[in-house]
Amino acid sequence: MKKHWWKILGACLVLYSLLMGMLTPLKTGISDIHPQFLNTGDTVVMEVTGYNSFYSKAGNGLRAWLKLDANHALAAHSIQVLDDRHLKLEFVLPPTLPGPQNVADASLLIDSPVDGAHVYPAGIRIRRQNLTGVDAPTAWTDAIDELHEKDAITFPFRNILGETIRNTYYHVPMWFAMFLLFIGALVHSIRFLRSKNLQNDRWAAALTTTGLVFGALGLTTGAMWATYTWGEPWSGDVKQNMTAIGLLIYGAYFVLRFAMEDPERKARISAVYNIFAFATLIPLLYVIPKLTDSLHPGAGGNIAFGSQDLDNTMRLVFYPAIIGWTLIGLWASQLLYRMNTLEEKLRWTH
Amino acid sequence: MFGNWPACCANNPLHMSLWTEIWFLLGKEVKLEWRQRHALSGMLLYVLSTVFIVFISFQQISPQLWNVLFWIIMLFASINAVVKSFVQESSSRQLYYYQLANPLAILLSKTIYNTLLLLVLGALNAGALLLVAGNPLEAPGIFALAVILGSVGFSITFTFIAAIAAKTSNSSTMMTILSFPLIIPVLLVLVNLSAHAIGLLQGSMIGDDLIMLLGIDLLLLGLGLVLFPMLWRE
Repeated sequence: MKKHWWKILGACLVLYSLLMGMLTPLKTGISDIHPQFLNTGDTVVMEVTGYNSFYSKAGNGLRAWLKLDANHALAAHSIQVLDDRHLKLEFVLPPTLPGPQNVADASLLIDSPVDGAHVYPAGIRIRRQNLTGVDAPTAWTDAIDELHEKDAITFPFRNILGETIRNTYYHVPMWFAMFLLFIGALVHSIRFLRSKNLQNDRWAAALTTTGLVFGALGLTTGAMWATYTWGEPWSGDVKQNMTAIGLLIYGAYFVLRFAMEDPERKARISAVYNIFAFATLIPLLYVIPKLTDSLHPGAGGNIAFGSQDLDNTMRLVFYPAIIGWTLIGLWASQLLYRMNTLEEKLRWTH
Repeated sequence: MFGNWPACCANNPLHMSLWTEIWFLLGKEVKLEWRQRHALSGMLLYVLSTVFIVFISFQQISPQLWNVLFWIIMLFASINAVVKSFVQESSSRQLYYYQLANPLAILLSKTIYNTLLLLVLGALNAGALLLVAGNPLEAPGIFALAVILGSVGFSITFTFIAAIAAKTSNSSTMMTILSFPLIIPVLLVLVNLSAHAIGLLQGSMIGDDLIMLLGIDLLLLGLGLVLFPMLWRE
């Protein structure tokens, strides 16, 4: 039992990340509003579609604002609840905008005693209709106060991501696990070249195999995620391309192994190639994508994970998932290693 | 690292420095090539006929296509040229070199020789394409730089991979499988760089491309120098 604690830990962490990642609900959000283009001086009725919201339960407690910036907001004139997911907000827009600009970007903020405050970030455009409109100093000065907060364990709601935000726990840990396994294979390759011990070679081969499986899984989960967020499974994103090349490089490792008979020579040559492959993986995955625009977070002007997208609840699932999957990868590699060792033994005894 | 002999050759029978050794081995490579002129002329014909096939099939070649075709032809011609580096001499002769020479000298001399060979192929390739497909080059200097750096990068990668592939039973297939994915980063930067020379890309990214290319080349060369003695020792 003492020897196997890490396998149990790995399995538990993966199970935990699967359950927690799938069962935790998302925060209340606003998935759609209409219209998004407004003119000053108009009275608009805005149709709002909520996500995971309970508007009928909130009833009269609902409040809504169009928010321009920290100091300028406009409260809704009236709020009509259609059902749990749909609201009609009536705004009486002032004749001017507070600043000198002719178009302002606004966000919609809804506060509910049941769901807490939630926001449709930016994307609403308000155009100054009458360029010489009268200045109204009291317009746009409604106070946003006493916002409610919901006490529950939830994941953040992001407009484009929606429920797919859960894929963070299944897509990203694959890369961490792959990379850690490849590092393990690198260490064993170097150790083989120093010690000439065939055990190291079998470890390197086993770790590379599982690393490659995790890489393929990362690519698949990424393609599934991309189908829903970027529109197609393969968008020719630089990280997708470079990862595919990286996996080809590691795939060639196995072709190379199969092309040689003598175990000592096979071990030596593939150890050399493994080190070479790892070194080329670094520029492929960490240098080239930094120099090019990418659709991935943290590149090409996109927000990086950790700054906004990864909140504390997500961290509670994300980090255990990384540790869990890596341990599962190690377990699989160990099984492969033991299998190969037994096969070698059989070959020599028969 | 240089000038220190590995354990195998501690007695350094010829009392040569690494650089003289490289020089002698380089001379040997050139002489060998010159004696088997059919190999060299085969390579040159390979480039010429490929260019001509490409020209006949496309007739009109846009600058963008020109750029891509140049590097694709260059890629295949280079692999064909480099693959024989470690297999053209018999294994007993290799054993003889092993006792006589520093492995670093062997790798470096072959890399330098292949660089020169690829420069010739590159010049021929560019010349033939310019002749039949017109001249889209706006900045020939940058293009020449790309060809030179490309030859160095191709030569470093392919020579090392040829040393690996030579240890297997099916070296030419192995060479392609191993080197294609490895060369893609270099190739991408090269295509970018020469797109600048053709005027397809604008901006100040040339510096970044050059640094990247030099970085990858140096990384591969450093690794090759560290790992080659382990490959060679047999």
